Amino acid sequence: MIDDIVFISQITIKSSIGVLLAAIGEIFAERSGILNLGVEGMMLVGALTGAAIGLAGGPPLLALGGGMLAGALLAMLHAFFSITLRADQTLSGLAIAILGGGLSNFLGRPIIGEVGIRLKAFPLPYLSDIPVIGEIFFNQSVLVYLAYLIIPFASYVLFHTRTGLKIRAVGDDAVSADVIGINVTAIRYCCTIFGGILAGLGGCYLSLAYTPGWKENMTAGQGWIAIAMVIFSLWSPYRAVLGALLFGGLTALQFFFQATGIEVIPVYILLMLPYLLTIGVLILVMHLKKGGKDGKSPRCLGVPFHREG
Amino acid sequence: MNKKLQWLLVCITAICLLVPGTSFSAEKKLKVAFALLWTIDDQGWTTGHYRGIEYLREKMGDQIEVAYTEKVRAADAERVFRGYAEKGFDLIFGTTFEHMDALMRVAKDYPNIRFEHCSGYKTSPNMGNYFTRMYQGEYLAGYMAGLMGFKNVGTVATQPIPEPIRGINAFTIGLIKGLDEAGVQYDSDKLNTVVWLKSWRDPIKETTLAETLAARKHDLIRQMADTPDTSKAACAAGVPAIGYGTDAALAGADCTLVSSLFNWGPYYVETVKAVMDGTWELRQYWKGFEQQGIQLSPFGSKVPQDVQTKVIAEMEKLSQGEDHIFAGPLYDQDGKVLYAQGSSASDSDLLSMRVLIKGVKGNIPQ
Repeated sequence: MIDDIVFISQITIKSSIGVLLAAIGEIFAERSGILNLGVEGMMLVGALTGAAIGLAGGPPLLALGGGMLAGALLAMLHAFFSITLRADQTLSGLAIAILGGGLSNFLGRPIIGEVGIRLKAFPLPYLSDIPVIGEIFFNQSVLVYLAYLIIPFASYVLFHTRTGLKIRAVGDDAVSADVIGINVTAIRYCCTIFGGILAGLGGCYLSLAYTPGWKENMTAGQGWIAIAMVIFSLWSPYRAVLGALLFGGLTALQFFFQATGIEVIPVYILLMLPYLLTIGVLILVMHLKKGGKDGKSPRCLGVPFHREG
Repeated sequence: MNKKLQWLLVCITAICLLVPGTSFSAEKKLKVAFALLWTIDDQGWTTGHYRGIEYLREKMGDQIEVAYTEKVRAADAERVFRGYAEKGFDLIFGTTFEHMDALMRVAKDYPNIRFEHCSGYKTSPNMGNYFTRMYQGEYLAGYMAGLMGFKNVGTVATQPIPEPIRGINAFTIGLIKGLDEAGVQYDSDKLNTVVWLKSWRDPIKETTLAETLAARKHDLIRQMADTPDTSKAACAAGVPAIGYGTDAALAGADCTLVSSLFNWGPYYVETVKAVMDGTWELRQYWKGFEQQGIQLSPFGSKVPQDVQTKVIAEMEKLSQGEDHIFAGPLYDQDGKVLYAQGSSASDSDLLSMRVLIKGVKGNIPQ
């Protein structure tokens, strides 16, 4: 019994990290007012680049760096279209998603399924010896530990630093932020690119740690789930963790139920839950019109910034 | 004068149209086309067909012209088939189930072209179908596992339709035979636990599923999906695996004991020859080891020599056409008799199989 709980929790965490990293990146982009629907594409190019560098014999750090850079480059493209050219962010984002998918499928063909680097579970000394907790949290891949660090860092930056204040100001009222001397364009560029970096890292997590090697469309929609997760979290990293764990937990449970024959909740309902909850949260947000400072979407989300005059 | 010119033009056009259609000179190469479900390097179903195409080229490349199109999904299939027909291809293969209806429609419009459809059930006078008895390979893999004493297998199954169901049953029949011969005690309610992906390929889910089965202490994990990720995840979790479709050991899953492989090449050569000789006729081809429609990969290093010998002896029998895999007595999961002693499942029973046998744990999702 306790064994089952341990491994379900283990798989829950494992399954949530890719979505979580991408979602945290997207939270930064959206907090600054840039809606980036290209997350799926950025994850895919990140996954491919990481796997390809690993296969070519590159060290893990280089593979991760390459994956993050690939995500960042696509994000930069989105930033150029939506910030500099002030194009429609929805269209640009969708174009990025499709571009990333097509590009990775095309470029990845020669290396489908070949494994270079496998980032195995790395039990942290001492911590992994703690019964139950150690096994669940500290017997994971290095990228999971990295995610543990990124979460509080992201939340701290966003809500407790001047940088975070600037980001939120730009996302909520770009004109006023500009008036008091914040460089709206620079902040938005940085946040969008940061989002690309984390999406690329999320992709690398899938292609280097979760199921090593490149396969076409291997993210299987995790980028889109990450976007739903951002809304679910009401643009807060900690709540995104909750959403990602819920997603991971449902993934782990659906197979556990099948493998044991104990089907407490039908699988189809389990699979539906994250989306149902996202819709539920959206409806709730609509009612939270006067919600607190982080209770609703950034006011300038999706609105290009023009300096008047 | 104008009228004469018109007539002349009509005649010339008519001749131009007729000549290439009718002249069937001896040097003309037979044109063969394949529509493929996915990319030729998908490591599974389409890679299997592509190996068949390569084999065909190797054997008859000088006498034929071969073309193929990748990623032909149902919505696009008719356009692709019609395109090949218009370009004058003589023999057109649709290599996956979802090509069936499109191929039927195109076959009706081009009665002089031969069509072949893989894994379906519809035929027309110029369209036959073909499939291999993959369950024979799965039976042998199960037999090997039984001889080695594995009695708590976890299977990562794909779509809950007759083909995989048949394979799961055949594997379990082999497993029971092997365990009985090896004299191992077992619990016949949970020899082979089946969990469904509800997809032909999904690397992330395959990995999660294999890890779940490994954590549930299953002693052997069996891959049925197109990608070798189930086997790879099993190896990473320290549990031996059995591959499917293409050799999982070659894809980096080095703990794989054996893989059952599709081998379409001989069938493609045979069919192309028949069209060339003019002996092609409508048939529903469903063969296994006796026509080398399937193969076993080389055994993994952990498989003992005597087990290998026994499995190969069983394979020889199948090669002779002695397929008694689904012979009675066979029981369903509740212990009810499916086929009594002396009777066995007919081909049409096998093709529409929708019940799991005793020894399998799990159910068929609706």
